Amino acid sequence: MIYLYDGSFEGLLTAIFEAYYRKENPEKILRNKALQQTLFEEYIHIPTDEIKADKVYDSIRSKISHQALQHAYYTYLSDFEDAGTWIYRYLQLGWKMGHKVDYHLADDRVLTVHNTSRKVFGESHLLLGLVRFKKLSSDLFYAPIEPAHNIVSLIAPHFSSRLADQNWIIHDVKRNMAALYNKVEWVITELDANPNLTVDEEEQAYQGLWKQYFESIAIRSRVNPDLQKRHMPRRYWKYLTEKQML
Amino acid sequence: MELQKKIEILSAAAKYDVSCSSSGSSRKNKPGGVGNGHLSGICHSWSEDGRCISLLKILLTNDCIYNCAYCVNRSTNDIPRTALTPDEVADLTINFYRRNYIEGLFLSSAVYKTPDYTMELILGVIKKLREEYRFNGYIHVKAIPGADMKLISAAGAYADRMSVNIELPSSQGLRLLAPQKNKESIIKPMGLIRSGIQAKREERKLFRGAGSFVPAGQSTQLIVGATPDHDLNILKLSEGLYHRFNLKRVYYSAYVPVTTGPNLPAIVKPPLLREHRLYQADWLLRFYGFKADELLNDAHSDFDTELDPKSDWALRNLHLFPVEINRVDYSLLLRIPGVGVRSAQKIVAARRIGPLSYDNLKKMGIVLKRARYFITCQGKYYGEKSMNEHIVRYGLISGKPEIQDSTPQWEQISIFPLLPQLPPPEVRLATLTGEL
Ligand code: SF4
Repeated sequence: MIYLYDGSFEGLLTAIFEAYYRKENPEKILRNKALQQTLFEEYIHIPTDEIKADKVYDSIRSKISHQALQHAYYTYLSDFEDAGTWIYRYLQLGWKMGHKVDYHLADDRVLTVHNTSRKVFGESHLLLGLVRFKKLSSDLFYAPIEPAHNIVSLIAPHFSSRLADQNWIIHDVKRNMAALYNKVEWVITELDANPNLTVDEEEQAYQGLWKQYFESIAIRSRVNPDLQKRHMPRRYWKYLTEKQML
Repeated sequence: MELQKKIEILSAAAKYDVSCSSSGSSRKNKPGGVGNGHLSGICHSWSEDGRCISLLKILLTNDCIYNCAYCVNRSTNDIPRTALTPDEVADLTINFYRRNYIEGLFLSSAVYKTPDYTMELILGVIKKLREEYRFNGYIHVKAIPGADMKLISAAGAYADRMSVNIELPSSQGLRLLAPQKNKESIIKPMGLIRSGIQAKREERKLFRGAGSFVPAGQSTQLIVGATPDHDLNILKLSEGLYHRFNLKRVYYSAYVPVTTGPNLPAIVKPPLLREHRLYQADWLLRFYGFKADELLNDAHSDFDTELDPKSDWALRNLHLFPVEINRVDYSLLLRIPGVGVRSAQKIVAARRIGPLSYDNLKKMGIVLKRARYFITCQGKYYGEKSMNEHIVRYGLISGKPEIQDSTPQWEQISIFPLLPQLPPPEVRLATLTGEL
């Protein structure tokens, strides 16, 4: 039996709620759209229910730990199809073990969730540095990203306190969504790929200066492209100003 | 001169300054301002040499009255000289920052006219940035040796980090290669910054609005391989600096032969491996509870090129090993070759639940290639048959190409917290309303 949820965190928590109360122990909990249905499986659509979700949310926090909730949430944001199932198995163990669940570092259920949440956290930390804004003519700074995981909501708070006095958009082009900030607050919204943009007239000049800086700060006798790629994997270069041809 | 050209010259001249750390400051943004600190620091890019780029690292000018033999900017060198204006520096910083290219500014300078004059220029720039441009991002400035203490103190009120470079590991070295500098002119400002930090900390305990003074601490840098000093001298020096001046970091920079001179060693390649060993050992001093004397001594005054300092130490102390992974206390756990802080913490957490087997460790992602020679798991030993120094040494060296595998410890080694933070409520709200 496979549970399907709508892709929201609340949906996932609802599915976990139902699994528990219906005593069905589903084999997997998957996002609706992640899916190629096969004939031999039984699929159950779980409609999202905020009250049920809240119950699970509170129960994780009070019966397991705040930490476990964090791990579950970060894992949920990952791009893996099985994330929902992993979280479910991890929480099942958590409700047995209480807050000690996170010491079971050699248990696959714990290990998988820890590793996944670490990956998501790691990528969001990396992106704090790699996001590149362009200044648009409309007094707006625009940054496209294509992260492996759904981290835009994790990095938005950082930029809202840092770049507090400028309007900005961080656009997850892969997921057609964006964080928008208007000098007061930020929201997550849908946004199509390829919006039409006109850059500010100063923009090219600063990009040029940055590329110049990037070029001359490297020590020629120590060039080490492998090390560079290890820290800054190629898949992120697409939107890096300094990696675009002059 | 065109701005682009100035950047080319003045950032190239700053590139041998290793530090690019932006960690340690939790400076907050202010209403109407731009920027804040990030406690663990953020790398914004990695240059072609694989080093983290976190700050706009640049000299105010490369026009120097001094003539340090190892330096491109020395007065007798025939190179183009230029200087940035305070507004140019501030404008670049702000515009790079708004595009998220950088965490902030690392401003240094050659000694222009006099040390006081130079320090005043630097002070002017950072004051402008903080007050006029309302910049609250990270600022690291160099304290110019020989400058008036009042100027250095004044800079401390605007900076997140300050550094005075030791430059060379010994007074003899300084006399030979940087004759206009002396130990006194370096140590004095270090002491001043140290006590400034101390005093501000006390003051802030009494009232919160006391302002700040170099909240991210001070660091220094020294050049390795330009003088005949041994690793032992260098490491002892660092240890002393950590203790006496409470330094956050000592950076080591392999001497890059940018020039030749009668007092300079004739080398073609920078001694990178040596630099790497020093970073490893420095790490052992700061996070692993080692003392310099344990790692090196007069009979053994330079690091082994084939072995990392911890393995080298362990080999000379085989009588302490193997240790039982399920019982050994944390401080000795940290001394097992190949076991880092994170691994040690994981082991301590996991063994609360039950005894750990060798496979458990593997599964937890503990790297055992080196460690296996030094541990038992539930009484069982997984190394070679006998714990003979030669056998273990051979195993450590042939087991693994250690150099390629261990990333040189350039900043930013951002120490990730073991656990992520839960997003603030608004994120949860966003997910509640199904917008994700
Ligand atoms: S004082 Fe600094 S810039 Fe001037 S020559 Fe010496 S090291 Fe170079």
